Amino acid sequence: MSRPQALLDALQTTIVGQREVVEGLVLGLVAGGHILLEGAPGVAKTLACRALAVALGGVFRRVQFTPDLLPSDIIGTRIFDQRTGDFTTSFGPLFANVVLADEINRAPAKVQSALLEGMQERRATIGLQTHALPSPFVVLATMNPYDSDGTYPLPLAQLDRFLAKLVVAYPSLEEERTIVDRFGGAQPELPANVASLEDVVRWQREAQQVFVDAKVRDYAVDLVRATRGAELVAHGASPRAALALIALARARAYVEERPFASPDDVRDLAPAVLRHRISYDDRIAIADGDPEDVVQRIVAAVRAP
Amino acid sequence: MTSPAAKWLCFALLLALASQAQAQSLRRLHVDALSMRADRTELQVGQVFHLAIHVRVRENVQALDELVIPDLGTMQSLGDERHTTHAPGGTDVVETLTLEPTASGPFTFQPAYLDAVDARTGRPSRFSSNAVTVVVAGPSLLDSFAAQLIAVIERGALAALGLIVVIVLLTTLARRVARRPRRAVKPPPAPAPPPPPARTPRDVVADALRGFRVTPSAAQLLTLRGALFAAAGVSSGATLRDALAHAPDHRLRVALIAAERGAFGPEHARDAASMELVEATEAWLR
Repeated sequence: MSRPQALLDALQTTIVGQREVVEGLVLGLVAGGHILLEGAPGVAKTLACRALAVALGGVFRRVQFTPDLLPSDIIGTRIFDQRTGDFTTSFGPLFANVVLADEINRAPAKVQSALLEGMQERRATIGLQTHALPSPFVVLATMNPYDSDGTYPLPLAQLDRFLAKLVVAYPSLEEERTIVDRFGGAQPELPANVASLEDVVRWQREAQQVFVDAKVRDYAVDLVRATRGAELVAHGASPRAALALIALARARAYVEERPFASPDDVRDLAPAVLRHRISYDDRIAIADGDPEDVVQRIVAAVRAP
Repeated sequence: MTSPAAKWLCFALLLALASQAQAQSLRRLHVDALSMRADRTELQVGQVFHLAIHVRVRENVQALDELVIPDLGTMQSLGDERHTTHAPGGTDVVETLTLEPTASGPFTFQPAYLDAVDARTGRPSRFSSNAVTVVVAGPSLLDSFAAQLIAVIERGALAALGLIVVIVLLTTLARRVARRPRRAVKPPPAPAPPPPPARTPRDVVADALRGFRVTPSAAQLLTLRGALFAAAGVSSGATLRDALAHAPDHRLRVALIAAERGAFGPEHARDAASMELVEATEAWLR
């Protein structure tokens, strides 16, 4: 019987800095959602995802998304077996507990769509047969915001499937020195089997029982509604954002072993939930504005209960 | 040394030069006519009349600025118009003055004149018109009597009207005063009570705690939580973390955390949270 705090501690011994990213990954896992990570190359996006998978001891698959990828490459396909004279199913990397979709915006829309359908439905159809995906099932997708050449930007409707979008920033000076010391020689072993898959399923079930007061619920809804019609925002967040915000607030309270979600949970997690669910006005590019500032302004403008 | 004869010679020379200069500034004109006449010569004070000066020259001129009109004396000038008419035989200039006599008695307008080089002789000359005499009589007795009578009637009528207006106003005022209830005489204002002593955040929290003890409702709990937030130095709309960041006092922090649990915790745990809140707040107040 492990607690999510143990997983959090284990990840933080591996990943230098990036506390919010590590916490976001664990919260996403507990909330049963999928996480999108955005950051420059080499800031430990993939390492964080791999560390999470190893710590859980489940099946981990990594798919490098490229323009020539096909849907069958991630879902699987039916192969003719000459010995038996029949077709057998070959499952793709989607059939794993933790799937790392590296550079998700480099694959064409058809592949993205196949992945996102699996994320939403938690099952995949190969040939005429539909197969349930394993439980727990979490997709961790990464995006590089700088190289936009040859990429296929994800539409808003598909971005909405991700529970949260975490921004992986460059490490601080001290953190960068520690990274060089820790990873400069032989690769350190990642902490394995900190929690079992059964633990994760239990966490997800128990987190759903965390109490959310009506005032906290209203605060989450107000924050989501404040994105609609906000300055420099073309389209605000959907009601799914309010659901995601409450789910993450519950997960955080659960990880902190608190029996109720607080306004602090909602306020702290709002940027991660809202930033990828908002489409920005063209004026933001003209004004050289930062979308993150827009989100922060929206969050700051709504009064906590 | 200069001799007196030489001085006289110089003086004569200067005079001749001045006369030559004046002659050079004058225009050369054939003045055929220069006359002046009034459209009436017998009039009364205040009666408007016209005095016309006519000049005719053979040359074609645009204006005749050299024409000098006579002194108007006690006449009040109401207007001055100058018309210039060009004809094949020369130019006619007519200046018409509109005048009003202000004093009675005969009045003579001295001749109008103009200075020019006479084209006939080539010499500087002054061409003058005739003089005009008008006789201004005082206002007639009948007219004056009628005017005085009218003035008296006007004044009388105005005075009567004014009197009526004053009477009506006074009557209306008197009626209103009679209708108005008599006011009691106001006693002098009592001296202002001394301002209440400034309430400290602790006072506000103590009041809120008292209210929560009397009525342990959710609304009273939120009031107490708000008072604790204010005591920590944060406004409403802030979160627990904001308040804790401003509250170094351990006992206040415990009270703030208890208030959070009471406000947002599950129903079954609220009684315990409320008790903890009351104890923590009392501890802080002590």
